Amino acid sequence: MNSLLRRLRHELFATPGDAVLSVALLALLTLAMGGLLRWALVQANWAVIQANSTLFAVGRYPAEQQWRLWLLTSLLVGAAGLSWGLLRAHPRADRQGLLWPRNDRVAVGLLAGLAVWLPWALGLTGGIQARWWGLAALLIGLRWLAGRQGASWPPRLLKLVPLVWPLLYLTGMVLIGGGMGVAKVSPSEWGGLLLTLLSASFAILLCFPLGVLLALGRRSELPLLRWASVIYIEFIRGAPLITLLFLGQNIFGFLLPNGLAPERVWRAAWVLTFFAAAYLAEAVRSGLAAVPTGQVEAARSLGLSQARALQHVVLPQALRVALPAMVGQFISLLQDTTLLSLIGLLELLGVARTVMANPEFLGKNAEVYLTLAVLFWCCCAALGLGSRALERRLDPRTVPSR
Amino acid sequence: MTTTPAAAANTVVPANTVMIEAQGVQKWYPNGFHALRGCDLRVNRGEVVVIMGPSGSGKSTFIRTFNALEDFQKGRIVVDGIALSNDLRNIDAIRREVGMVFQQFNLFPHLTVLDNLTLAPVLVRKRAKAEVERQAMALLQRVGIAEQASKFPGQLSGGQQQRVAIARALCMEPRILLFDEPTSALDPEMVREVLDVMRNLAEDDITMVVVTHEVKFAEQVAHRVVLMAEGEVVEEAPPQVFFNTPSHERTRRFLDQIL
Repeated sequence: MNSLLRRLRHELFATPGDAVLSVALLALLTLAMGGLLRWALVQANWAVIQANSTLFAVGRYPAEQQWRLWLLTSLLVGAAGLSWGLLRAHPRADRQGLLWPRNDRVAVGLLAGLAVWLPWALGLTGGIQARWWGLAALLIGLRWLAGRQGASWPPRLLKLVPLVWPLLYLTGMVLIGGGMGVAKVSPSEWGGLLLTLLSASFAILLCFPLGVLLALGRRSELPLLRWASVIYIEFIRGAPLITLLFLGQNIFGFLLPNGLAPERVWRAAWVLTFFAAAYLAEAVRSGLAAVPTGQVEAARSLGLSQARALQHVVLPQALRVALPAMVGQFISLLQDTTLLSLIGLLELLGVARTVMANPEFLGKNAEVYLTLAVLFWCCCAALGLGSRALERRLDPRTVPSR
Repeated sequence: MTTTPAAAANTVVPANTVMIEAQGVQKWYPNGFHALRGCDLRVNRGEVVVIMGPSGSGKSTFIRTFNALEDFQKGRIVVDGIALSNDLRNIDAIRREVGMVFQQFNLFPHLTVLDNLTLAPVLVRKRAKAEVERQAMALLQRVGIAEQASKFPGQLSGGQQQRVAIARALCMEPRILLFDEPTSALDPEMVREVLDVMRNLAEDDITMVVVTHEVKFAEQVAHRVVLMAEGEVVEEAPPQVFFNTPSHERTRRFLDQIL
């Protein structure tokens, strides 16, 4: 206790000037937080969120088909728990990672707390509350099991685990949209967080390889390839996304014969992909530029072909350097999905606008927007935390933790 | 390690098979600079040739033509019986047989020391990973850093990194090793550990071409010392002759400056 006081004194009240500044800032913070809390706890009427929680989550996705989304969520949660545990069970070769580092204990506590509190606060029915508890239990249980047993799994099995994710993504597409014996749910019925995450993840996954190819094209020695990449990148970066989105809604209709043009949702997702790829290419290019030429020379002098040198020596280093910039791009891409509401799609912001237009919930804008902000913040924070963890794991310079 | 056996090495006359034959090699850089002005060099199997010369004289450029890291416009280079041409298959075939150690080490920072060694043999020579790993550990043992195998290059000192780089080149089992100023980027106290490893290598039958400023190494280990200046090979002589009774005025001036 004494040391805490000393630290506070040292950090906040070191000089009279510091003290004045600290007191002023503390007063300001207390006022702002107090005002926000009083509004959130007393004045705000959260009924608008409680009544529309399903709409925010999945839009107009037919209720009798929602079991598919529950199944998909369970699969994702299971895969996440499994991967998380295995990552902890297999720390980097030069490190001695803990099985339950402090961050993980905090995360588990937070997730468990959220899984209990949020469904209750939203006033969900008992059955649905129980499902969320089950999901949290699945995540933590698999995390625990994989963390404990993962070290002794055969390497061949471990190599299969990363394949679970792309497989799950394709499965998810089928589960959400239907096909292959599952009833079809038209994309126009997808909405809310589901549509936001779907379009963002689709664009993120596809813009990544596209961006890498564009960056390589821009550095290529073939003039045609180089110029094509430059023109593409500069054209896309010179146009606002919203114009491209509107253009995309029309242009796919011109370019492709009737019936072949994708649904409006997919048109928007492709535009997002092409848009993000141009920006990502520049991030990757900065990473490529950061790899010294000596690396290529060393790889080539060992007999590696150009492609092999790129794959095993240049790209791993370039992408690690470009990682923070790329994740920044992904985060802004996630937020850019709100523009889909302007072309009439009911992603989170679109749903929010329809809810606020409902006479029943008139004047509840603050509650809705705050909820939206918190939801986006959670998604972006998850991306940011994941990227920082990945950076630490890939950083060859960090001193081994012993 | 004592230097006596290494010093004895340069009295042994190597078998007379030509490993590198360069004739009238000329190179212009894209900016028009005439870097090599007709260089000749012949290196026999098992020979250790040291190339010295002032900076900017084209030493590095010259040895980098031997594994096609630099192209050249005129002349002829035959490495291990394969003529260097624009044929990519030839270049890859030559690079498999010619290892190179760089001034800046150029280890792959994202791979562990062990993976640095095993990458090329597994990918290029298609050898089994476990077998390559055994060989790599033996090589790391030989250069004295087996206990660092699972570390990353950034966690090692400069001297250790350069020894890893030598082991990495050796892991491809090359017939020729090129050294491009291997100790120039090292702190003085680490030069010796690298030179010791190179001395040790010179006793084997591997062919070595070394660009260096280390006079003592040249005196003790080289079979021949070559002086390059302004893109030309000026003098070529056994070390005793080169350092004591050089025949060219340019060599005498160079030796005056460095000794």
